[in-house]
Amino acid sequence: MGLRERLGKEWLFCDGGTGTILQEMGLKGGELPETWNLTRPDDIKSVASAYFNAGCNIVNTNTFGANSFKYDNVAEVVSAAVRICREARHEAGRDDDAYVAIDIGPTGKLLAPMGDLPFNEAVKVFSEAIKAGVEAGGDLVLIETMSDSYEAKAAVIAAHETCDLPVIVTTVYDESGKLLTGGSIEGTVAMLEGLKVDAIGVNCGFGPDKMIPIVERLTKCCSLPIVVNPNAGLPRTEGNKTVFDVGPEEFSTIMKEIAAIGVHVMGGCCGTTPAHMKALIREVSPLPFRAPIKKHGTYVTSFSECVEIGPKPVIIGERINPTGKKRFKQALRENDTDYILTEGLKQEEAGAHILDINVGLPEIDEPAMMENIVYKLQSVTTLPLQLDSTDTEALERGMRIYNGKPMINSVNGKRETIEAVMPLVAKYGGVLVGLPLDEDGIPETSDGRIRVAKKIYEAADEYGIPRDDIVIDGLAMTISSDSSSAITTLDTVRRIRDEFGGHSILGVSNISFGLPARELINSHFLTMAMQNGLSCAIINPNNDHMMASYRAFCALMDKDPQCLGFIGAYAEYKSDGTFGGASSGAAGGNAASSTGGAKLSLAEAIERGVTGRAAEAMQEGIAEGHEPLELINAELIPALDKVGKGFEKGTIFLPQLLMSADAAKAAFEVVKKAMEGKPRQVKGKVILATVKGDIHDIGKNIVKVMLENYGYDVIDLGKDVPPETIVEAAIKDNVKVVGLSALMTTTVVSMEETIKLLRVKKPDTKVVVGGAVMTQEYADQIGADAYSKDAMQTVRYCDEVFGVQS
Amino acid sequence: MPLGVAISESEVRRYMGFRGPVDPSTETDAMIAKAIKNLEKDCNPKYVSKAFSVTVDGFSVKFADVTVESRALARNLAGCTECVLFAATAGPSCDMLVKRAAVTSSAYASCCQAAGAAAIEAYCDLINDKIKDEYEAKGLYARPRFSPGYGDLSLSHQKDWFRLLDVTKITGIELTDSLLMVPTKSVTAIIGLSPNKLPCVKQGCEACTMSQTCAFSRKE
Repeated sequence: MGLRERLGKEWLFCDGGTGTILQEMGLKGGELPETWNLTRPDDIKSVASAYFNAGCNIVNTNTFGANSFKYDNVAEVVSAAVRICREARHEAGRDDDAYVAIDIGPTGKLLAPMGDLPFNEAVKVFSEAIKAGVEAGGDLVLIETMSDSYEAKAAVIAAHETCDLPVIVTTVYDESGKLLTGGSIEGTVAMLEGLKVDAIGVNCGFGPDKMIPIVERLTKCCSLPIVVNPNAGLPRTEGNKTVFDVGPEEFSTIMKEIAAIGVHVMGGCCGTTPAHMKALIREVSPLPFRAPIKKHGTYVTSFSECVEIGPKPVIIGERINPTGKKRFKQALRENDTDYILTEGLKQEEAGAHILDINVGLPEIDEPAMMENIVYKLQSVTTLPLQLDSTDTEALERGMRIYNGKPMINSVNGKRETIEAVMPLVAKYGGVLVGLPLDEDGIPETSDGRIRVAKKIYEAADEYGIPRDDIVIDGLAMTISSDSSSAITTLDTVRRIRDEFGGHSILGVSNISFGLPARELINSHFLTMAMQNGLSCAIINPNNDHMMASYRAFCALMDKDPQCLGFIGAYAEYKSDGTFGGASSGAAGGNAASSTGGAKLSLAEAIERGVTGRAAEAMQEGIAEGHEPLELINAELIPALDKVGKGFEKGTIFLPQLLMSADAAKAAFEVVKKAMEGKPRQVKGKVILATVKGDIHDIGKNIVKVMLENYGYDVIDLGKDVPPETIVEAAIKDNVKVVGLSALMTTTVVSMEETIKLLRVKKPDTKVVVGGAVMTQEYADQIGADAYSKDAMQTVRYCDEVFGVQS
Repeated sequence: MPLGVAISESEVRRYMGFRGPVDPSTETDAMIAKAIKNLEKDCNPKYVSKAFSVTVDGFSVKFADVTVESRALARNLAGCTECVLFAATAGPSCDMLVKRAAVTSSAYASCCQAAGAAAIEAYCDLINDKIKDEYEAKGLYARPRFSPGYGDLSLSHQKDWFRLLDVTKITGIELTDSLLMVPTKSVTAIIGLSPNKLPCVKQGCEACTMSQTCAFSRKE
């Protein structure tokens, strides 16, 4: 019988530790255990045989660390391991009821953006090992000891794209139930269930006793068979040896207790031996087996957050969307990701639970932009994302690299759309928004919309997407053209809840299109919709009226324990309608707009680094009829210069310089808005990059802010940038100056390589370098044109190269 | 998980590059306080340590299967019979905090960066004290901790720490090919243990060969 037919229907047992046994056999610290597949196959076989003979059904191949970062001959190492394990099984007479698991452990590298391993590269590395394992005759893929949900996702995708074998994933939590990267049990389960693995569990970390609370939480949220593979207690050092204290009898006694919580596959990890497994199997197999129970929850997750749809309405921020926003369109065209990220962070601070991401613009490469924005947003916000596009490729690119289980906006009742979108959700997992419209258009009645909604639910069944993961849009359409449209929408929302037990969503503000005072209609409509059972509201969370409706509703409907959320938001509320600090939404560090007394001038505000006032003063200046350029030249630049000179003299410190820079940046943002669409005057283009191998980029980021303030167009290539990328960018835009940063002597090497390559391919480009270990001498040695000890010097150098008077 | 130790505002200021008497700017103070608060809220510190016997011969130091050539470390460990290697991290949230701040305010980003540096140092002091107390009870006295990449102790020895302590699996710290650690707010170090009680007057900046040129050097 195949493993899939047995998982979740009867007790199954994994094997125990391998590494600890190999150490007993003489494996040295630091020696790669998988080399033994080739050099000491009989020893490896003896371990597998012992587990098959102990009665284990799932025995791992010795391939935990077999990846191309550690081995040049991954395929050979993995095939040998599978062959050995299959032989051991045959010799034990277990061909009919035991399975050879292709064991996949973490790569040992952190995935980007946190680390330096790109997601798709991780998928590739896992695929190599899995492919070799499948070809050699493995029966399942067991992905284990994962402490990063993102890496687990990469391994699952690799497994599914390589084979149809069952996939089991076990992760390592700390005692608070978190992954090392911050993910929760519930969030990890939601993501893995969405990815359609066959069983989910925990391994390693600590002994069986400490796993009990974690297993309890797992059984509450997981619908799939649950696997529990603990260590034989906590590892302890005795002399130069690692030892484990929990013996077979104690181990099996606690495992019996865990079995009763409701798990389905049991085994061991570090420190456990065939004797542990024998005792475990003896104790647990006579116990009654309980099949997994389907849970009904709808979860949208990020790497660390898990938002449940249902218990109370969820706010989805709508501001990352170019529709009707000139400044946003400009940011998309100019690849100004900071602007887009700022829009996201503002909404997070204003109280959004999920961020909608729509970056569709006809003249840009939407799939690439979607991938880029998802990648960058998930490195600065913990909020889950809703990927919003009509371009299926954009959706797939975003879903693939998304770290968690996203929301997908959207599918509708048209067969063509269902066939394009649903397979993606089936593959990557996600909560899918369904618009109740189809080939016949938008139904005018709630009856019609419910009919299409039913069609969408049935299509989800067909694709194996749980109905819990479908959220139906009630379709808010303006009452200014059809005064009964709000009633139809509210009916639809209510009926989704009552007739399907389903979840609903609305783009709330559509209801008031074409009317004045839209926030008044919108906020009241939001309250009415929530009262009719609305699950998700797509709104602008920066709007005080909208958030007031939401918070008041939650307080009134017992969805805000002790009204703490409401009190926290409105403690400063004034009865004249000013909202105080409720949702000021300032994402910056210093939003103070006055320092008491007289208002600061633009120049003063920049000198003193008062961001809010600088923007305001610029606004006032423009409103008074001054040309933005005049304000920049007469006030902004001289103020910046004054601070810059103070910094160079040592009378002003870096933080003060940066505060001024931030204030200037805020004032520039006002100018950009005022000059929407018009070409900007720039002094020149400069490329900035932190070189390959280096991930410390704060210095580079400071230089970027300063250069931009001084009128340069900065192409920021980020960190860990290979020489080729820098050279290509320099050639593509014919850039005169490249600024490189490196923190350590180990990465200055890449700096030197970059300079060499530039000299060959783009000899007229100047290179300025900086970073903690840099000195003038060092810079000369690696052939740089200039060394800058700080951001101001870089500005001065660029002014020199571009012939600017300062 | 809490850091278990307070982050000192004056250390944060030092890492930000303030030197000498500082202009008491309320904006900067507020930003520093905010950075510390946010950092403490989300940080997830972890560490791993392991003891080895150590021998010092000339400028070579030997522990486990490792031989280190370093004049500075040999001097630091002179007379030691044991040593403890450790690796510690303030966790991945510090890096995210800095990245997030950098989007909207470079000044605030520099506060977060400095607060992260102060946090990991304070956490290392905590671990250091624990090790010191543990061994003092056994009659072994701790020397100031010493890190790869510091003085003439080559950064390439990072690999030994990662191998001997199984650092990545236990703490989540990754060593990149260029020998940098991610999360960036991470430290590896060795603490020598000697049966002789020596006054350890010189430590930190004062003992470092870079102290004259380093922008962050602690100076009276």
